[in-house]
Amino acid sequence: MAYEPPVTDYDEIVENCTCAFCGCNCDDLDFLVKDGHVVGVRHACRLGASKVMEDMDQRLLVPMIRDENGELQEVDWDTALDKAAELIAGAVRPIFYGWSETSIETMKHGIRLGELVGAVLDNQATICHGPSLQAVQNVGYPVATLGEIKNRADMIVYTGSNPMNSHPRHLARYTTFPRGWFRQRGRFDRTLVTMDPKYSDTAKMSDIWIGFEQNGDYGFYNAIRAALKGKEIDQDYVSGIPKEVIMELAEKMKNVQFGALYFGLGLTHTLSKQRNIDMAIEMLTDLNEYTKWVLTPMRGHFNVNGFNIFMAYEMGFPYGVDFCRGYQRYMNGETNTIDLLTRKECDVFMVIAADPGAHYPGGAVKHLAEIPVIQVDIHWGPSTEIADVVLPGSFIGVECGGTSYRMDGVPIYMKKAIDKPETCRDDEWIIRELLERVQKIKDEEAALASK
Amino acid sequence: MTYIEKPVVPKVIKFEEPTAKEYKLLNMMLNTGSDIYQGACKKRGSTCKDEYRKVCGVAYMDPKDMAKLGVTNWESVKVTTDWGEVIVSAVHSRDAPHEGTIFIPKGPWANVITSHETYCCCDPTYKGIYCTVEKSDEEVLLMADLMRAVYKKYVEDEEGIPELESLGEMPVFKKK
Ligand code: SF4
Repeated sequence: MAYEPPVTDYDEIVENCTCAFCGCNCDDLDFLVKDGHVVGVRHACRLGASKVMEDMDQRLLVPMIRDENGELQEVDWDTALDKAAELIAGAVRPIFYGWSETSIETMKHGIRLGELVGAVLDNQATICHGPSLQAVQNVGYPVATLGEIKNRADMIVYTGSNPMNSHPRHLARYTTFPRGWFRQRGRFDRTLVTMDPKYSDTAKMSDIWIGFEQNGDYGFYNAIRAALKGKEIDQDYVSGIPKEVIMELAEKMKNVQFGALYFGLGLTHTLSKQRNIDMAIEMLTDLNEYTKWVLTPMRGHFNVNGFNIFMAYEMGFPYGVDFCRGYQRYMNGETNTIDLLTRKECDVFMVIAADPGAHYPGGAVKHLAEIPVIQVDIHWGPSTEIADVVLPGSFIGVECGGTSYRMDGVPIYMKKAIDKPETCRDDEWIIRELLERVQKIKDEEAALASK
Repeated sequence: MTYIEKPVVPKVIKFEEPTAKEYKLLNMMLNTGSDIYQGACKKRGSTCKDEYRKVCGVAYMDPKDMAKLGVTNWESVKVTTDWGEVIVSAVHSRDAPHEGTIFIPKGPWANVITSHETYCCCDPTYKGIYCTVEKSDEEVLLMADLMRAVYKKYVEDEEGIPELESLGEMPVFKKK
């Protein structure tokens, strides 16, 4: 890439902003603002900077509704909100999906709306770390905050995850490189291990790379567990890794002072799904017989964990919460978005700050092409191509404040830095407005029925 | 500029052992997942642009596999699974060697061919899918055209989709 001179042409610096991209929620960013736009971002990684300095060409600025020719047409806010409220109020099996890129404050109104119409509330965990949450329910969750890792950990393991691509500052800010209270020399005091079939960008900079076979995670953790328990491994290779290497690694993991394991979608998206994570957690239980080990899932969006924590706190279940019977229910494989869509159960789909068009498997998107879709988002994306009502929201952490939860469960208030485009509204306002309008329709229906 | 118009990919011309035999079709394993270029482009919002097609509509392949198929960087290949088929560009992977597997960053292209099977665990199977890869001379579609061609939500004449004019790289909607 060509050399780029530093940005010097700006009016003001807004300090200590929080990045609204990945689960690291880096809260040390400085935005360089000129004429009400962010023209430069300091401290962020490539991902964070590119999100904050968004592409205005594709910013959703006006509410839109599909007309009879299948073209999106600009309308005013009242028309768009009424149309969306009418769809939601008339739905039999609505799904409200997304929430991970918006604030907890927005979710508050979302829950009330969901309860009112008997919807399913689900978030991106359903297509990424859902199995991790199931495993946590199965076998527990030895968690630590990132600050603790920074100060103490001397072995960091990434498994089925490539933070150099998906959480670029995770190593730099929290786990591997920073100097900590008990790790005064930073990187030199820590061992970095990557377990991944792919020789990923993280593997390239690790001290040890364990390239087990595709779908070999389950067998591999079991072998480590056997080694930890002092059992003989009777095969020469397990999941493509020689037995001696497994014994040696188990020995190393036993002898650290504080170990941290981070796991990503490599575990949840392969065939054994939550069983992989069950096994990884149980491996840590075994390691904790000898020394201190903790683990954290590498959550993708900045507030995907927030939805799960918030839902678990309010409703008792982390995601895929179904209100159709008037009370909350949660049943894996039944009340989750992908299953509901592939079974063609859903009849109105509202997506808030997410992109199912880009990230759902084709089989699920096919059903979205048959039902009305309401989109609340900031950018024109693949989901807009299949949306029937589009409501432009605002950018949390840049254009409006809000609370989010970091991947380790630490809540962070993200402040507002610049004003939102005049024609956009805050997500919180949009959902509250929908709630009020749906409530009105329901009240009218009830009044009519009682006559 | 916080992004580049397409990913930087290595061009490998020297192989340890030259591949004598050319194959028409390879049986491979497909992985999908996030990638730094895909993440930056998606969240920046540039999904209609050519840039998004260059970062997501690509299959990162082992140079040896590409030699077997006789394709070079940025040439089209057709990837087929039990769930569908899609045209993407083949490029040399920076994580090679990984003969026998291909990686397509998550996005609309990859998801045409991923499995929606959740096995009752809520999560679709995005990784470890058997696929076949063959050379193709069709062009990789832009995001909007791909969504129209695959999901056909707002087209009346479904047969006529290939003849329709491209939706282009900018959002299309009627202003007031
Ligand atoms: S690591 Fe994540 S939170 Fe931190 S700057 Fe990069 S994208 Fe933002």
